[in-house]
Amino acid sequence: MASRTHRRGAARPARGGSPRRRLPLRLLLPLLVLVALAAMLMLRGYVHSEILADHRVQSPAPTDRVPEEILEGGPVIDARAGRTESLSVPDQRLVLTFDDGPDPTWTPRVLDVLKKHDAHAVFFVTGTMASRYPDLVKRMVDEGHEIGLHTFNHPDLSLQSKKRIDWELSQNQLAITGAAGIRTSLFRPPYSSFAGAMDNKTWPVTQYIGSRGYLTVVNNTDSEDWKRPGVDEIIRRATPENGEGAIVLMHDSGGDRSQTVAALDRFLPDLKERGYEFDNLTEALDAPSAHSPVTGADLWKGKAWIFLVQASEKITDVLVVGLAIIGTLVIGRFVLMLLLSGAHARRVRRKGFRWGPPVTEPVTVLVPAYNEAKCIENTVRSLMASDHPIEILVIDDGSTDGTARIVESLGLPNVRVIRQLNAGKPAALNRGLANARHDIVVMMDGDTVFEPSTVRELVQPFGDPRVGAVAGNAKVGNKDSLIGAWQHIEYVMGFNLDRRMYDVLGCMPTIPGAVGAFRRSALEPIGGMSDDTLAEDTDVTMALHRAGWRVVYAENARAWTEAPETVQQLWSQRYRWSYGTMQAIWKHRRAVIEKGPSGRFGRVGLPFVSLFMVLAPLLAPLIDVFLVYGLVFGPTEKTIVAWLGVLAIQAVCAAYAFRLDRERMTHLISLPLQQILYRQLMYVVLLQSWITALTGGRLRWQKLRRTGVVEAPGGSVPRQRSQSSDDRRPVA
Amino acid sequence: MTHGYTTGTGPEPAGPYGPYGTPHAGDPTGAAGMPYAVPRQRTAEPAPAPDPAAAPAAPEKPGRDRYLDLLRSIALVRVVVYHLFGWAWLTVLFPSMGVMFALAGSLMARSLNRPAVSVVRGRLRRLLPPLWAFAAVVLTMMFLNGWNPAKDPDHGDTWGLIGLFNYLVPIGAPPYPWHIGSPSGLLEDTWAVQAAGPLWYLRAYLWFVLASPLLLWLFRRAPWPTLLAPLGLTAVVGTGLVTIPGETGNAVTDFAVYGGCWVLGFAHQEGLLKQIPRYVSVSCASLVMAFGLWWASNHLGPDGWDLNDIPLAQATWSFGFVVILLQYSPSWRELPGRLKRWDRLVTLSNNRAVTIYLWHNLLIMATIPIVDLLYRLPFMQSERGVEALSSTYTIWMFALVWPLIGLMVLAVGWVEDLAAKRRPRLWPNGAKRSAGRRSGRTGAAHRG
Repeated sequence: MASRTHRRGAARPARGGSPRRRLPLRLLLPLLVLVALAAMLMLRGYVHSEILADHRVQSPAPTDRVPEEILEGGPVIDARAGRTESLSVPDQRLVLTFDDGPDPTWTPRVLDVLKKHDAHAVFFVTGTMASRYPDLVKRMVDEGHEIGLHTFNHPDLSLQSKKRIDWELSQNQLAITGAAGIRTSLFRPPYSSFAGAMDNKTWPVTQYIGSRGYLTVVNNTDSEDWKRPGVDEIIRRATPENGEGAIVLMHDSGGDRSQTVAALDRFLPDLKERGYEFDNLTEALDAPSAHSPVTGADLWKGKAWIFLVQASEKITDVLVVGLAIIGTLVIGRFVLMLLLSGAHARRVRRKGFRWGPPVTEPVTVLVPAYNEAKCIENTVRSLMASDHPIEILVIDDGSTDGTARIVESLGLPNVRVIRQLNAGKPAALNRGLANARHDIVVMMDGDTVFEPSTVRELVQPFGDPRVGAVAGNAKVGNKDSLIGAWQHIEYVMGFNLDRRMYDVLGCMPTIPGAVGAFRRSALEPIGGMSDDTLAEDTDVTMALHRAGWRVVYAENARAWTEAPETVQQLWSQRYRWSYGTMQAIWKHRRAVIEKGPSGRFGRVGLPFVSLFMVLAPLLAPLIDVFLVYGLVFGPTEKTIVAWLGVLAIQAVCAAYAFRLDRERMTHLISLPLQQILYRQLMYVVLLQSWITALTGGRLRWQKLRRTGVVEAPGGSVPRQRSQSSDDRRPVA
Repeated sequence: MTHGYTTGTGPEPAGPYGPYGTPHAGDPTGAAGMPYAVPRQRTAEPAPAPDPAAAPAAPEKPGRDRYLDLLRSIALVRVVVYHLFGWAWLTVLFPSMGVMFALAGSLMARSLNRPAVSVVRGRLRRLLPPLWAFAAVVLTMMFLNGWNPAKDPDHGDTWGLIGLFNYLVPIGAPPYPWHIGSPSGLLEDTWAVQAAGPLWYLRAYLWFVLASPLLLWLFRRAPWPTLLAPLGLTAVVGTGLVTIPGETGNAVTDFAVYGGCWVLGFAHQEGLLKQIPRYVSVSCASLVMAFGLWWASNHLGPDGWDLNDIPLAQATWSFGFVVILLQYSPSWRELPGRLKRWDRLVTLSNNRAVTIYLWHNLLIMATIPIVDLLYRLPFMQSERGVEALSSTYTIWMFALVWPLIGLMVLAVGWVEDLAAKRRPRLWPNGAKRSAGRRSGRTGAAHRG
């Protein structure tokens, strides 16, 4: 990102209040996107059992309140409508049951084996898995198997409220309906085993579920295949004695089930030879099917559910790819920045480095000012201390606070004041250009303070005749507040490292309005400043590139500027920057296909700038989205460690940038907070610019409220205001 | 005037404090089982204690820092809500206790420009009469229920009697029975625990007041060590590294946990915070808070994230939180913008902070028999009616406790004025004339 300082717009009267009405929409859109994204991630966390999952298991309880006939009876418990009956599977019939599926790897193989041996079975599916793999549920139904409920996300129901039980059942049912268009009346409680294992805690649940119209199905033989005891052992445990009928418990999900599949492949033919039939439950009991078709609203609700879950899975995948892209971009950019800016610093700091013959000719300094009464004196006086011969032109852009009079009353030599009706900064600069006496023109803001050597350092690169413009090093003067410290880090790290990198790459996108120098002979052919965009400095810089001029960075030309002190001011400043940058990129888009220097810039600089200043920030929110997701749904610790890792990389880069700029490291202490408060502000502003650009909205902005914090340097660095900070606090 | 108060909180600012209920006293296990419908009360909770002394300042006078008043009111409301609903996350959302102690410390530092003895005496004079009023009622109820402190199994014989002195001057935690009455009585049999629990705050406040002349002397000589020492002490006595047994241990731990906030009040008053660039203080504070959260996540208590059970987390989180609140302290002469409509309530709660703090837990208990009356209503006899009422029980308690607090302010609030040597007022919400009284009252009832 390029830094500029704030610029003022012409004080256009706000028209008819319509901008006010637009604003909510602009806020609403990003908000909606964020809410939708959050909802999708929540949904994903939900069907992946990352939320609402309850892994507690009830400890054994006494059994004195469970009816004897249930404890002694068969595995199918009918507690519907007040009944207390048990049913058993007739001899020579086996009902295979598979719990916890469907699983994308193992369930298809189980189904294949069943199909091969022409067997039917019952699958007790969980709602989460059924929602994620609806096709497998459909296939089960199509191939003649029965589906049973196994709750939505597999809690021990004896620990849950009735409300939760109802919800577990209905969500489970919803997923099955969405997947296969049916409802089922079979139910198996999680963590269940034999009928004889019913106790005082689980029996009431069974009764309650019976009252809801479900048959509870437990088992006779438990293969314990989840322990992976070996194929022989699974078969031994699953096989009933003496040709009795049985309900066999197996699992098609929850880990490696290759033993289960292999066991089935032997078990099925073996027992068939011994006269067994493999039916689903209602076939074995000679009862009507447990499935009933669903139509109408319930069916559509189910389908909508499945659709949403599928969408959430895909969106998450897309987001992960996005995160990978942004991660690569961010790190790639850091590496590039470190390498190139290091190279730049080495080059310009080499002993005996010179741009060309020393530039000693006098230059004109243009100070456009709009209502800068508080700052203008500091600004002008700092220029008077310059060690380079200069002529100062203050262009008063229709100020109403007597800015021009203040300058005139200083009675300084070499300072001219030009007044114009309010026409905006580009017009003021053009007027200044027309009145400038020298060929080299320095431009600065009315709230910026130069060091004595700034002008000299800034114009030295013009010793190279190919250089058409020079960017100076803008620094934050008021960096003791939190928001000031954050901007300071951003200026030093982002802007100043960036500028070195762009200098080396030959595609500097912006000369900061606070401190820049131009050849008048370069500006005149391109028509001077233009008010086509909100970022006239970016616009003119790109135009210079296209005209074949070099634009370079003068690191020692430091200018101290007053950064916005409230979120609101910062917001409107950045909004103008990012929207203006987009406008400038769009304005110069034809450079991509042109020939000569324009084409070079269009094919190298422009895409580069677009990628890092306009496109990459679009993906930046993903970092926060995944941070929150990881914190909430886990793995919390890994997420925090990863985030701290990224923070550490940034801290290293920032420390390097601070060292290059010879800044004190203390401000880096606010880096962690910057990452969780400030960065978000920046990309939200960019998102808003995007929306403005896409919806063609108009932009309105206000001038920063100036407080005159930055003063003329007695030494080289402006004094921080320490005392009167209260007038900027929100004191009602 | 970045901070502190501007001119005065009134003639004699006293330490704001809020007593919170805490059950450290006595039994480490906390409150005994409560009936199902009622959420468990936190007995040991830091409720922000209103500050008896600050309250006395005449509210109408210009010069009160309404920002600090607002913080005190928020802290107070948060304490009541926390004690009622028992939501652990409230202790993270707003560490009321730390805020209250910081406000009190700041006022104390300001007062200590006068001779220390008279300041301490003034503080005690304002603190004790409201406590006596409360103790008179609670002790009468306990004795009528047949409690004999000399025979209480939890308190030795003579020590139990001597401990009663703490109802007069809460230099230690006063004794109370863990169970009194019968579980089927009008109040739960743990009501005494609930009622007396908040008294730990008075003890802590008293300790701080007595220690303040020395603390301030230390602070002026060595600001940073004095500021950070309580955190260090918490790391020693609040983490199990060193365990001081019994009630003394609780008192020392409280002193350490909130000592940092109290001294922060000094730092605010003395302008130390102003000297530090804001980015430094806020960044460091958030690092301290991050440490607190990290510590808490590794030392979750019986109620999860309830910082009251995690001394070091409470100390660090409160410390950082208070630094940020005081760093931004804007010194409002009056509440700005939309906050203005809360003006009277803020004034009232500041003027009656001690009363509200002392009585709120008992009043929360008192809502239960009243809400229970709803079960007798004819249209509540169906199963659905009962279920609807049970599932919304705390909401009814919540709605009811505010009018009860209002009544209690009317009944005993004037004691605070007497203690401050002022003309007793019935409803000091800053409104002119009695016309304000009615509106203020209903307002109080609705607010939560």
